[in-house]
Amino acid sequence: MGNFDLLMQGFGIAITPMHLMLMVAGVLMGLVVGVLPGLGAPNGVSLLIPLTFTLDPTSAIILLSSMYWGALFGGSTTSILFNIPGEPSSVATTFDGYPMARSGESTRALTLAFMSAGFGALLGVIVITLLAGWASRFALRFGAPEYFAVYFLAFAAFIGMGSAAPAKTLVSLATGLLLASVGMDSVTGSIRLTFGFEDLLSGISFLVVVIGLFGIGELLSTVQEGLRFRGVASRIDLRDVFRTIAELPRYWATYIRSGLIGIWMGITPGGPTAASFMSYGIARSSSRKGAPFGTGRPEGIVAPETADHSAGSCAMLPMLALGVPSSATAAVMMGGLMIWGLTPGPMLFATQPDFVWGLIASMYVSNLIGVVLVLATVPMFAALLRIPFTIIGPMIVAICFVGAYTVSNATFDLWLVLIFGLVGYLFSRLDYPLAPLVLAMVLGHKAENAFHQSMVLSDGSLGIFFANPLVSGIMAVGIALLVLPKLIALGSRFRRRVPVE
Amino acid sequence: MTVKVFHAELGTAVTTGLLGLAGMIGASELGHGWTESGPQPGYFPFYVGLILIGASLWNLVAAFLKHRAAHRHAASGGEVEEPFLDRERARRLGVFIAALLAFVVATLTLGIYAGSILYIAWSAWRQGGYRLPLALGVGVAFAVSLYLIFEVIFKIPLLKGPIEPLLGIY
Repeated sequence: MGNFDLLMQGFGIAITPMHLMLMVAGVLMGLVVGVLPGLGAPNGVSLLIPLTFTLDPTSAIILLSSMYWGALFGGSTTSILFNIPGEPSSVATTFDGYPMARSGESTRALTLAFMSAGFGALLGVIVITLLAGWASRFALRFGAPEYFAVYFLAFAAFIGMGSAAPAKTLVSLATGLLLASVGMDSVTGSIRLTFGFEDLLSGISFLVVVIGLFGIGELLSTVQEGLRFRGVASRIDLRDVFRTIAELPRYWATYIRSGLIGIWMGITPGGPTAASFMSYGIARSSSRKGAPFGTGRPEGIVAPETADHSAGSCAMLPMLALGVPSSATAAVMMGGLMIWGLTPGPMLFATQPDFVWGLIASMYVSNLIGVVLVLATVPMFAALLRIPFTIIGPMIVAICFVGAYTVSNATFDLWLVLIFGLVGYLFSRLDYPLAPLVLAMVLGHKAENAFHQSMVLSDGSLGIFFANPLVSGIMAVGIALLVLPKLIALGSRFRRRVPVE
Repeated sequence: MTVKVFHAELGTAVTTGLLGLAGMIGASELGHGWTESGPQPGYFPFYVGLILIGASLWNLVAAFLKHRAAHRHAASGGEVEEPFLDRERARRLGVFIAALLAFVVATLTLGIYAGSILYIAWSAWRQGGYRLPLALGVGVAFAVSLYLIFEVIFKIPLLKGPIEPLLGIY
């Protein structure tokens, strides 16, 4: 059966009244999460996972992924109307979105953002549809050493390609790996690193860590700034919407360029945030005429939004096909998959075609629902930000703690949320990236198992990671991603004799 | 009280380094070497701890270098290093964290419902400047919607304290 037949079968699964309802609910919840500071896509999805235990996996992943799309849309709303990025990946949207909204064209700015976002997502899903079968067949040839090489590649890409200092990324990664190894070891069955604390016997749940790092941590950053929301009027005029849609084809070059950047950064572990910044930067440097960027240029909204959403949807491909998520939210969703009893990776395509293709088909439908819903509900969600922080802030705190408690009904987890909240605040203030920590916590066991099995296979020789063309190819790409970006930066610094900004 | 970025960097690097050390000590108790069946259970965490210590040392040195450069920059008439936390921010953050701590303690002793009512009402009353009855109303409305969403719709029991049984809720 070709990809197209499988996709049609997927639509049969995705388009049922129950699933459509879940998509609407997911997108709406995602919008709330995206709009409110302190609740972002990663910890919104973490909060929702305990509620999905009663659903079947297909319905659960449809709900979670719809929430992700909603959060991406919601993040753009606040960027444009309030100059507050609801999500890290929509920071670049504030540069031109807010000035345009301030000059009285908020409907135009929002429509540009949502249509670009929808287009980017569509592009991403098409790429997934085309590549899914091929990627899973390719990954079927993988053994333990290849898997470890892929994990190494993911970690290396974070260190080499991330915007933070390499040593800080490494600290974040290693902390995540160390936290993942607390509790029962799945290979030897021994209890590790609990230091006599009984509460640590069952390990540290990555969901609790994500809720602390992203939820409480982000709130602390909000509080220290003494946040006051200053928004612009947010009424949507339908005529403006259609007029803006009519002007979209003019930006075709920006769309294609940004879409390609997004797809690349989504499949490799660059993630949506890096994609949107990169796309904005390239759009700025390649524009020659017109008003400067930062004053409300339409391309300045189109470029980051398209890249953000195509990267966000493409991030699902490596997660499903290889079991390597390339963004923090995809990492959380993959953790959810494992909790539901599914193993991400190539076998998923063979054993659970309904799940995989139902999800892919639902991505088409729920992004469509997302664009319509977000345009219809912008005034409502913008009103959410008019609620004073002294009321909404404590509510977000309470929701975070309730969510952490429902993960495993353990009171100890409440303390963990508090501790990781402080860690999240400190890390984000000092430019330690948080995504590698989450990724390492989700992948820690799998990476260790793959390493362990490879070592058993090779009798303890590291040579097994260079034993055949496939595994050495992946390792070589990993090493290249690790060292090349910094070497290039160093090289250009020597040539120019001026410090890089 | 003003905290400098330099001090925050130092504190963080030392803490992550100590975490790595704790990992190495914990792992070496399990054995980090090799047996006939492959690596011992402590093998992986041991080397991860080692890497963590190395990266933390690197950050420590980087912080010192940056601090020295900034010092020289300031001495030659440039801008002084931006503080990590000035007095005003530290006060805001301190109040919020203290309330957070009180909320966790209240939740552990009185349950999640009573804890969140108290916390939300206190914040709206003392910080938001709302009248006490209104603030309490907001807190109770929040707790009731928590109850409906979690216990009624999703059948997930939340942490209860000594008060709920008196109201006939288990």
